[in-house]
Amino acid sequence: MERYDLVIIGAGPAGLSAAIEAARCGMNIAVYDENKRPGGQLFKQIHKFFGSKEHHAKERGFHIGEELLAEADRLGVDVSLDTVVTGLYPGNEVMIKKGGQVSHVRGDTVLLAAGASENMAPFDGWTLPGVIGAGAAQTMMNLHGIRPGSRVLMLGSGNVGLVVSYQLLQAGCEVAAVVDAAPKIGGYGVHAAKLARCGVPFQLSSTIVRAKGGDHVEGAVIGRMDEHGKIIPGSETEIDCDTICIAVGLSPMNQLARMSGCRMEQNPKKGGCVPVCNEYGETSVRGLFAAGDAEGIEEASSAMIEGRIAGIACANRLGFLEDGKAKEAVESNEQALDTLRQGMFAPKNRGKQIEKTDEGFPVSQHLLVTGFLGDDEVEVYPGVTHPKGLHPVIECTQNIPCNPCQDACPHGCIHIGSFITALPAVEASAECIGCGRCVASCSGQAIFLVNEDIGGGYASVTMPYEFMPLPEKGDIGLACSRDGQAIGEAEVLDVKSVKAFDHTNLLTIRVPAELSGKARFYKAAQQ
Amino acid sequence: MDTSERIAVHPILGVPEKGRQVQFTYNGKTMSGCEGEPVAMALKAAGVMVHRYTKKRHEPRGIFCAIGRCTDCVMVVDGVPNIRTCVTPLAEGMDVRTQDGVTPLAGDKADKEEADGTI
Ligand SMILES: Cc1cc2nc3c(=O)[nH]c(=O)nc-3n(C[C@H](O)[C@H](O)[C@H](O)COP(=O)(O)OP(=O)(O)OC[C@H]3O[C@@H](n4cnc5c(N)ncnc54)[C@H](O)[C@@H]3O)c2cc1C
Ligand code: SF4
Ligand code: SF4
Ligand code: FES
Repeated sequence: MERYDLVIIGAGPAGLSAAIEAARCGMNIAVYDENKRPGGQLFKQIHKFFGSKEHHAKERGFHIGEELLAEADRLGVDVSLDTVVTGLYPGNEVMIKKGGQVSHVRGDTVLLAAGASENMAPFDGWTLPGVIGAGAAQTMMNLHGIRPGSRVLMLGSGNVGLVVSYQLLQAGCEVAAVVDAAPKIGGYGVHAAKLARCGVPFQLSSTIVRAKGGDHVEGAVIGRMDEHGKIIPGSETEIDCDTICIAVGLSPMNQLARMSGCRMEQNPKKGGCVPVCNEYGETSVRGLFAAGDAEGIEEASSAMIEGRIAGIACANRLGFLEDGKAKEAVESNEQALDTLRQGMFAPKNRGKQIEKTDEGFPVSQHLLVTGFLGDDEVEVYPGVTHPKGLHPVIECTQNIPCNPCQDACPHGCIHIGSFITALPAVEASAECIGCGRCVASCSGQAIFLVNEDIGGGYASVTMPYEFMPLPEKGDIGLACSRDGQAIGEAEVLDVKSVKAFDHTNLLTIRVPAELSGKARFYKAAQQ
Repeated sequence: MDTSERIAVHPILGVPEKGRQVQFTYNGKTMSGCEGEPVAMALKAAGVMVHRYTKKRHEPRGIFCAIGRCTDCVMVVDGVPNIRTCVTPLAEGMDVRTQDGVTPLAGDKADKEEADGTI
């Protein structure tokens, strides 16, 4: 039986990061992944990630994946693709299957980095063709260039549901609505706001009663739920759609962990049943580690750090890295992990009602229910000011671990401070030169440049724009409010597409001055 | 049938990288797709939704996970049943058939479907 210093199951961000650390220490590693391409979830993520600059914030997920792969390549990490790990036995013996051939290898250490599986929502008709998982929608449109449907109903308003809905719009699909059984939107407010201003409605405290259609989806019936989760009679409405996309959460992949006999726990903060791990990610089975979504559903950013910690710990265990160095490396990674795990959406705050931000500002309830900030609500936040001339307006109102906007501004107009989850504030004393970097770097597309008086009773509003076809200078179209309603005429003054902005175009429109605080999206006139 | 399923230019990803156009047959009917893309994607682009009917209750199934995990998309490919079309690359001249339980859909039903325009 072949023996390796470290066997890694799964080549997503967690597995690859562990491989990188271990390879750096000179370990002999095997990495297995069932796919034709390494990278796990990252290659389906085409949006800019949150986080801090040190952790790839404002980079699109697939670019982060490319960087990880390049680094792994440089260190000579070889990933066995199309290879499924089918068993994990005492003594850290791993059974693999490739092209129908089964073989066994042994790892002096083994890392479980198998990621997550999607939860299902069995409503009447959920097996009809046209009902798909959110991951399937991403695979179809972002990897294969195929639209999952023309008009899609999304079930689930967590970050996955929100992000995938936006990606559907970018792929040219319509999103009929985002439905969620919870009374509040589960994902980041900035993600919801991107959808709302495109006109996507949210239907909360609701669920899909049934999918309609004979051989494939031809519509859906949704109904409102009472506090016991029962459909309120008479509340059913029909939604016109040809596709239903399910994004009701992820569960850690735990079949292999169960087989290994390590201690497991049911932990709702980690998204399900996971191995009990110490601070290095080691399970109760000596030499068996877990990292990433397999250890608890979180983010790619945390998966990468957990992977690094596990890689370092394995190297240390086998004597490839001395204690002092390992301790130092683990500590700095742990610190990074801790910063990411702050804010309203941190694992420790899951399920909590949060009424006020850390700074004491009221959390917009309107945003949580409709997906957009009320016109007057927005005024209380530190990112919204009204100086003369051009200035940024930052509609980022929840404590989330993100700060690229602060780093983006060369003039110090935007302040978050050292606490990454603090709300961005606009510095009154700094002068904005209108470079647009903040707009393009904002992962939540929550920054606008506004000049409330450009003369003649007009204002200008610059917004991030990531759709096709791109409007052209001189086009006349419609200015839309935060809820996607047309509120007036808009003329396109400028469209800026800069390589450094990585496909986030900056669209500047001219609107009647009284709309400067309301116009947040642009639609071509004929739509 | 709407054939606008292929994204021509994507705002972030640009023009999708695709293999050359190849022909294959679906229940005997000639169709085209891109070489190397999963068979399921070529079918989806051609408007095919139903991949198989379940054995006991004869219910239709189509793409569900698109990553080879759920087996909803299995079909009879080149005479071999239970092929997960979402992870099987399309090749020139492939013979793809709707699966009925564990066998190809009987000729008359497949032909009828085609005549109905339900495919
Ligand atoms: C829509 C969406 C949006 C997201 N947005 C963000 C974001 O903005 N920022 C962020 O930080 N994170 C985001 N994430 C989360 C992030 O993608 C995941 O948390 C991260 O990919 C987890 O990494 P991982 O390495 O643990 O697992 P994965 O990326 O899932 O990788 C696991 C790999 O293991 C393989 N595997 C599993 N079992 C086996 C087996 N038995 N044998 C062989 N191979 C196996 C899988 O096929 C997969 O390739 C998003 C996720 C989704 C779905
Ligand atoms: S436009 Fe440029 S100068 Fe103005 S706030 Fe944004 S980054 Fe700073
Ligand atoms: S405004 Fe700043 S902190 Fe908020 S989402 Fe945008 S980049 Fe992140
Ligand atoms: S769609 Fe699930 S295996 Fe193909």
